[in-house]
Amino acid sequence: MSKEELSRVSENLTLETDESRREFLDKFTKGVFGGLVVGGVVSVLAPVQAKAQKEGSNLNESTPFKPFVLPPEQPGEDAILRMMRDIQRALKKPIEQRHWNMVIDLRKCVGCDACSVSCAAENKLPPGVIYRPVIQQEIGSYPNVGHITLPRPCMQCDEPPCVPVCPAEATWKRPDGIVAVDYDQCIGCRYCLNACPYNARTFDFGMEYIDDTADAPQVFLGKEKAGKYETEASYEYAKEWKRKEDASPIGNARKCHFCVPRIEKGMLPECVVTCIGRATYFGDGNDPDSLVSELIALPNAFRLKEEIGTRPSVYYIK
Amino acid sequence: MKNETMENKPMSRRSFLKTSALLGGSAAGLGAVEKISSKGFGRGKIDYPLNDAENVIYSVCLQCHTDCPIKVKIEDGVAVKIDGNPYSIQNLNSPIPTSTDIQVGAKIDAGLCPKGQAGIQTMYDPYRVVKVLKRAGKRGEGKWKVIPFDKAITEVVEGGKLFADVPGEENRIVEGMRQVRALTDAKVAKDMAGDAMNVGKGKMSLADFKAKHAAHLDLLIDPDQPDLGPKNNQFLMLAGRMEHGRKEFAKRWHKGAYGSNNFMEHTTVCEQSHHIAYKQVTSQYVDGGKWKIVSEHMKPDFRNSRFVIYFGTGFVEANFGPPIMANLATNAIVDDGCKVVVVDPRFSKSAAKAWKWVPVRPNGDAALIYAMIRWMFENDKINKEFLVNANKAAAKKANEESWTSATHLVAYDKEGPAKKLRASDLGIGTSDQFVTTQGGQPVAVNTNDKLNAVVGDLFFSGELNGIKVKSELLMVKEYAMSKSMEEWAKEAGLRVKDIVEVVREYVKYGRQAAAEMYRGPVQHTNGYFNGMAVIYMNMLVGNIDYNGGLIKGGGHYHEDGSKGGPFNLKKDAFAGKTKSFGHKITREGSYYEHSSYFQKNGYPAKRPWFPHTGNVYQEAIPSMDDAYPYGVKILMTIMGTPLLSNPAAHMSMKTILDLKKTPLYIANDVAVGETSMFADYIFPDLAIWERWGTPHVTPVAVTKMSKVRQPTIEPLTDTATIFGEKQHVGFESMLLALAEKLNLPGYGDDGFGKGMPFKRIEDWYLKMATNIAAGDHHGDDLPDADARELAIFKKARRHMSADTFDFDRWSKACTDANGKNWFKKTVYLLNRGVRGEDFTNYTKNVENSDKILHKFGKMFNFYCEKVANTRHSYTGKKFSGISQYNHAFDYAGKEVVGSSAYPLKSITYKPITGGQARTQAVDYWLQAVMPENTLDINSQTALEMGFKNGDMAKVVSADNPEGMWDLGPSGKKPMVAKIRTVEGLRPGVLCASWSFGHWAYCSRDIVVDGKVIKGEKSRESGVCTNAAQTVDSGLKNSCLEDLIGGSAVFYDSFVGLVKA
Repeated sequence: MSKEELSRVSENLTLETDESRREFLDKFTKGVFGGLVVGGVVSVLAPVQAKAQKEGSNLNESTPFKPFVLPPEQPGEDAILRMMRDIQRALKKPIEQRHWNMVIDLRKCVGCDACSVSCAAENKLPPGVIYRPVIQQEIGSYPNVGHITLPRPCMQCDEPPCVPVCPAEATWKRPDGIVAVDYDQCIGCRYCLNACPYNARTFDFGMEYIDDTADAPQVFLGKEKAGKYETEASYEYAKEWKRKEDASPIGNARKCHFCVPRIEKGMLPECVVTCIGRATYFGDGNDPDSLVSELIALPNAFRLKEEIGTRPSVYYIK
Repeated sequence: MKNETMENKPMSRRSFLKTSALLGGSAAGLGAVEKISSKGFGRGKIDYPLNDAENVIYSVCLQCHTDCPIKVKIEDGVAVKIDGNPYSIQNLNSPIPTSTDIQVGAKIDAGLCPKGQAGIQTMYDPYRVVKVLKRAGKRGEGKWKVIPFDKAITEVVEGGKLFADVPGEENRIVEGMRQVRALTDAKVAKDMAGDAMNVGKGKMSLADFKAKHAAHLDLLIDPDQPDLGPKNNQFLMLAGRMEHGRKEFAKRWHKGAYGSNNFMEHTTVCEQSHHIAYKQVTSQYVDGGKWKIVSEHMKPDFRNSRFVIYFGTGFVEANFGPPIMANLATNAIVDDGCKVVVVDPRFSKSAAKAWKWVPVRPNGDAALIYAMIRWMFENDKINKEFLVNANKAAAKKANEESWTSATHLVAYDKEGPAKKLRASDLGIGTSDQFVTTQGGQPVAVNTNDKLNAVVGDLFFSGELNGIKVKSELLMVKEYAMSKSMEEWAKEAGLRVKDIVEVVREYVKYGRQAAAEMYRGPVQHTNGYFNGMAVIYMNMLVGNIDYNGGLIKGGGHYHEDGSKGGPFNLKKDAFAGKTKSFGHKITREGSYYEHSSYFQKNGYPAKRPWFPHTGNVYQEAIPSMDDAYPYGVKILMTIMGTPLLSNPAAHMSMKTILDLKKTPLYIANDVAVGETSMFADYIFPDLAIWERWGTPHVTPVAVTKMSKVRQPTIEPLTDTATIFGEKQHVGFESMLLALAEKLNLPGYGDDGFGKGMPFKRIEDWYLKMATNIAAGDHHGDDLPDADARELAIFKKARRHMSADTFDFDRWSKACTDANGKNWFKKTVYLLNRGVRGEDFTNYTKNVENSDKILHKFGKMFNFYCEKVANTRHSYTGKKFSGISQYNHAFDYAGKEVVGSSAYPLKSITYKPITGGQARTQAVDYWLQAVMPENTLDINSQTALEMGFKNGDMAKVVSADNPEGMWDLGPSGKKPMVAKIRTVEGLRPGVLCASWSFGHWAYCSRDIVVDGKVIKGEKSRESGVCTNAAQTVDSGLKNSCLEDLIGGSAVFYDSFVGLVKA
């Protein structure tokens, strides 16, 4: 992929008019999402200083990590096992000393969308909410054709534009690099949706996938039994969120959080483990021995929209 | 959150809502959210429960046939998340050892494709059929009623006026299963079987047969054609996707107990010709003149290949299959510099990672390969050192594992190449020895000889003992040289320059280059030969059994007990087991010349006979239509939808709607599907994650592994009491209920032998699992699950009722005939879902040897003697023994050509989100990724035809100028979808993906018990182009076919597009 092509794709990420993004969102909303987005009142180029780390966020209170013994290292080992070792090491350090980074090797991304789906399942995302779309685009002309795939999680910026625009102080930067959202504090204004130069945030309108189906339990499985998996708990930010009317996260801005509840248990984010091309890597960028540190140092590593100074925690390799 | 913090906030949710309301902003989308939580945040103390083995049950996916081992995570009895199983080499590049603690295994998630992830939505489909539905209107009218399971079982067994309430059917008497099962005496069956088939072969006269079996002639379909078998054969069990475990369960019932010979699966709509090519090329000669089938497919060793050519397939979509292949391929490409070529008219996601995309003309594969072979011969790039080895001993001496028949001689007769020359033909050896030449002098070769090495001349042509002979490699060479590079390139639709570029690179990597195929090259009339040509590419570079070459895979532990497991289910000789006999409805496995039809009519046969293949799906219903070789009285379909999946499937609708041709149709399905909507009864099937199975592993896996599909939740279907046991309704329990009602042998209290009941689903599958746990030889067994593991095993199933899981009952099912209980070992297996060989066996081997760990070590044939001596059942002409390039011809010999109205070659593909007919329609997460398919054409083609991106168009063809699926009483569905203009498609080709264009699956309203149930429109999106595929002019009611491999032809039809 040439630099021009990449910048074209990454440019598209920020444009509300972008065809592929809108199309994508439409798909995830079953056509309901369009038109409800609040008009932007905050410029994308607003000052991007992150607010001070949220005081008293008591992150250390979550159940402490209990290390477990991974199988012995062996040559030719799957990167998943190495990365699990990396994060076990990181979790032994105080939270301030680790910085979670993700690296996505675009040469290995096969555009299968397993990450998008796995993420939606793990986080019980309703229609319209998407944490990790994979943007895809054909380039070139016959017979010299290419196909670009670009997974786009939240960049967990070190200078996150979404933070200063929040009128409710419901979003902030954690010491380990993750940009968190407090659903209970979020007022649903969606300023952050507009502020994000990567369009990483979507809004939870409280829909369910089975909304348009008939309820005929006397004949078929029926809505109630079918819909249970949608309302089982998600564990974002080490809290149990069960979807019910009038309760968060319905009515909130939502985004990728690097699978916080998983990483704090020594597990990798869902998009990393499910990736069939092994294109997504995760670990502690502060640890020089971690796989992500090695990858970030590659000459062909880059970040999206480096020029606007958001300092993403997500790197790409092309 | 403290109150004071609240007050300090610049804005609360409530005040925002108020403000925005005042400003006139719409709060419609927010109306639901007025609660201000007083709960804190970031103080979560909730343990993440999905990392605990107590909340995990391992199973095996079946959203496609890759059958990835999965872990299903359960909360409140609901399957909430599916991930890849880390013990499995299909999901983790280096699987964790089977001995790894299950609490550690629970914390390691491994790769899984989006379909596997979305399985939850297939299982929890609001429209899932959970009760038995009986037709309450005309077939296909969409009117149903719910009836009790027991009543449905009684009705289908006993028959009668089953549809007296349907206008027009008041007096129609339906024959039930009991009546159709005419032959019930195992001894009579055994006595008649051989004689009946001998009548077909002309070895016994009909008069003699009738005299000998006078007392039982009434049991036969036709006493004048006893080779058609007993009336029992008129019960056809037609499975879509059915795999090991379930397949053997069904065959035991249908063949062994019921006594019908008509059980078949769907493989020919998938990629059967690729299997048949492998089966023939790798079949092994056994003394006495037989060829033994030993391998049905092999794969490149993607871990170590340096150069791979993918023919009509890739590593991202379909194939066998994505998680393992994608992982290995991307690692090889990026980390190890492996070069990939994708030969495909469509620029696939694999092509996106390729060094070169070769947009071959559909069916141009063999032409392309013969151009490359020609170049290899001309440039002296074939691996002669490998090819000269004529037998096992020679291979061994040359430090090879496998060898080929390159130097063996083929004898010609008047018609051309015939059988392989035998040493006895020259008086230099036995009739079990082949012949090669050394310096032109004939030498006898015992191909399996381990001691006496024979190498031969690669190229010999001459006359020996008055017999014209040629060496097999010379035949291939002469065929390759029969056209110039330019001529081959023209046939392939490619430039010579590109072909040479690929082959020049291919021969650079020695044994670490390989050629791979799946569906693309083989779903053609020339499919078998195209597949064979791909295999030649491997043989000519001698890559077999090398790291990075062509490998057979690690294999599996034998769940059928055939390798010494405690339960020998392969040779399950239960009392009363029937010998099923007679030609199958599809004539698969039968030579036409061995039939009474041939004795009567000679050539041409009305429909083709398929001695070398099986599971010829697309022939089943059209053969019922023609009642050839006989009619069917009961059709049962299971997890399959032939009326959607088969090319030209629309021609079969009228057969299913015809009450005389299809008197009783029973479907097993998880929904009212495209085919089951035409059924008389729909019995609910268990969803994949609720049931059992023991599917086999892909040859891509380099170490041995077996996997067990097991219930992960309490099944959602109704329960029934069968053999006194309450259990959930599904395909297997339906068969058990039918067995009870029909009093079939081999079931009930002593079904597996004295004191060993076969009354429940798991009575069968736990034995299979136990065989895996016990291993393939003494001392190969798994450890016992200890007390802690047993407790976790129970706790992980705490959401299941006794209808599904009962510890003691399950344990009893694992006690063998000698009274030994194996259950603790079985639990050890079920707690991990797979058992795998120690992966360090592989890593150690690859460091020390250039050969792969698990070796094939046998002969590869260039010339397939059995096929070469088989005749086309229309023309009576012999097939070729070596691979050939042929244009597309139908059964009657008419070439398939396009026209100005129908100029486009139609092809299909499977996106990774669409595994089977149902996958994409039901799974919302997959719909979200790909909500509809499109009619893809090259932008240049679009320009020429006057189409723009996004135009709506209808697919039409000479055989279906209207472009319609005619659904009988349910109206018509036009083949209309959006045009997508692309660059990544060969001009002149129309490509529409599979998995769309549904007309059932509750995409439309249906009526049950008099009430309208609204369908979900989104399920209907896109198009299925099967109704535009060519109808064979010699058959008139079905699609084009590969007459050797049996594949249904998906890529040889011409279609047109009209604005819609």
